[in-house]
Amino acid sequence: MPMLVRKTLREYRRALIGWTIGICTFIGLYVSFFPQMRDNPDFYSQAALAKYPEGVRKLMGGLENFTSGAGFLQAVVYQLFVPLLFIMCAVILGNKAIAAPEESGTLELTVTLPVDRKRLVLERFAALAAGLLAVAVVSLTVLTVLAAAVDMDVPFGRILAAHIALYLLVLFFGTLALTVGAATGNKGLAMGVAGAYAVAGYVFTALSRDSQVMDVLSRLTPFHYYSEGNPLVNGLPVGDCLVLLAGTAVLALTAVLSFDRRDVGV
Amino acid sequence: MPCMTAVVQTEGLTKFYGKRRGLEDLTLEIRPGEVFGYLGPNGAGKTTTIRLLLDVIRPTRGVARLFGADPRDAAVRGRVGYLPGELALEGREKASEYLAYLAGVRGGIGKGMIETLAERLEVDLSVRMGRLSKGNKQKVGLIQAFMHEPDLLILDEPTSGLDPLVQQEFLAMVREARTAGRTVLMSSHVLAEVEHVSNRVGIVRRGRLVAVEDIAALREKAVRKVELHFDAPVPEEAFRDLPGVRDLKIEGAALSCTIDGRPDALIKAAARFTVVHLVSAEPDLEEIFLTYYSEDVHHAHVGA
Repeated sequence: MPMLVRKTLREYRRALIGWTIGICTFIGLYVSFFPQMRDNPDFYSQAALAKYPEGVRKLMGGLENFTSGAGFLQAVVYQLFVPLLFIMCAVILGNKAIAAPEESGTLELTVTLPVDRKRLVLERFAALAAGLLAVAVVSLTVLTVLAAAVDMDVPFGRILAAHIALYLLVLFFGTLALTVGAATGNKGLAMGVAGAYAVAGYVFTALSRDSQVMDVLSRLTPFHYYSEGNPLVNGLPVGDCLVLLAGTAVLALTAVLSFDRRDVGV
Repeated sequence: MPCMTAVVQTEGLTKFYGKRRGLEDLTLEIRPGEVFGYLGPNGAGKTTTIRLLLDVIRPTRGVARLFGADPRDAAVRGRVGYLPGELALEGREKASEYLAYLAGVRGGIGKGMIETLAERLEVDLSVRMGRLSKGNKQKVGLIQAFMHEPDLLILDEPTSGLDPLVQQEFLAMVREARTAGRTVLMSSHVLAEVEHVSNRVGIVRRGRLVAVEDIAALREKAVRKVELHFDAPVPEEAFRDLPGVRDLKIEGAALSCTIDGRPDALIKAAARFTVVHLVSAEPDLEEIFLTYYSEDVHHAHVGA
């Protein structure tokens, strides 16, 4: 493994472990509710309808038929909370790639090493992708085991498909933070841009069925390509995944080119 | 091996941060095997120059070359050891792990180099970097700059935060580097820190290089306070109007004065009497140095 990738992963290690535990704990808590819901479908459907006003239900993906295995997984794992947590993790790690060390001053010595700047960014990006992949693999494993334990009756292939889409979504936002950081060196800006885009993207997509405008806007956000294909039901949406990957590739390229051109630490 | 082209060469090197001038029109050559002291007050442009040389920042105009090549070339930076002026080391990583990583990126270093340097500078590398004191961070910074025995050392304020004994050890390391034929560029805001190891000094002020001087030549111009004690009172006429002697004061058997440059005339005059005690303070290069700051005139031997 290249030196810088290894070094970056070492820097990520504690955060990765922490976020993995957090995300898996969250998944574990919610999946453990599933047997109760399955056994009292009417009660919980009514409760959900009563508890959340329509607007909130829409934001949470509709909460339709969430007493079935796939519906439940979609609602509690893939719709909102896990992507949200995982995106926060990715944005924080993406920021640690360039902007955070630049603001703390440790990047100065790094750029004077006999490493090309382009390679520096690429290796940091590779470490980000690998670190997030590790979180994805562990959480996928935990989810698969728990889903089997509570007889959720969702085939592994479908969970895998949903998790692949999730990983690509999260990688996109992590790369976005890395890229804004690489282009500007500003940690707060990188965090703000990635966070605002994630929130706006999520809202546009959740409300896209309501209005033409939202539908058009949602196509400009990664959430559209993440949720449109409904991988838990239909399997891997290859085209949508390629859109997410292409977006990430464009961002990574932008990061490489812009970091190569600018002053560091001024 | 040092080559005969200049190790550091800049032509019209200029850096503006927006409208603020960081450095303007720096033309300078540092030759192989030379120790060059780069002096100026804080904010004068020393760090800007050094960052330009290492491709941390990019010039607005002009060129910087290391070993005749563009510092953007990663291989060229491999021949340089760099100590940043504001060295940031942080995190839970141990200093030894960080140094091992840097050594790895540099393609490996001589066996035992890190340990030897750590022993010389008396620093414990098993400490987490975030917990190192300022002085110990500086030592770790020096180790990483010296450990791969680079052809060129660029050290920004290397002695800041070091206690006097460690400063001496550091200066010994610089002398050894010079003896081994390496080239050193070190900045400081105090001449006293660099005068004993430098061959030449450059003085930068408000973003401009105002002088480049040989240390030996500077010492010739230096102001020196001298006291002589004789076995009997001496006549003032014997010392009046000696070339280079100023502020002459004679009180009985004691004489005190300041000397510009060589003390030769004073010594010859004093030789006619019996000298029982002689005190000569170190030449105060600082004083000359300060005259550069107080005058706006260009003392140009620039690029000499």
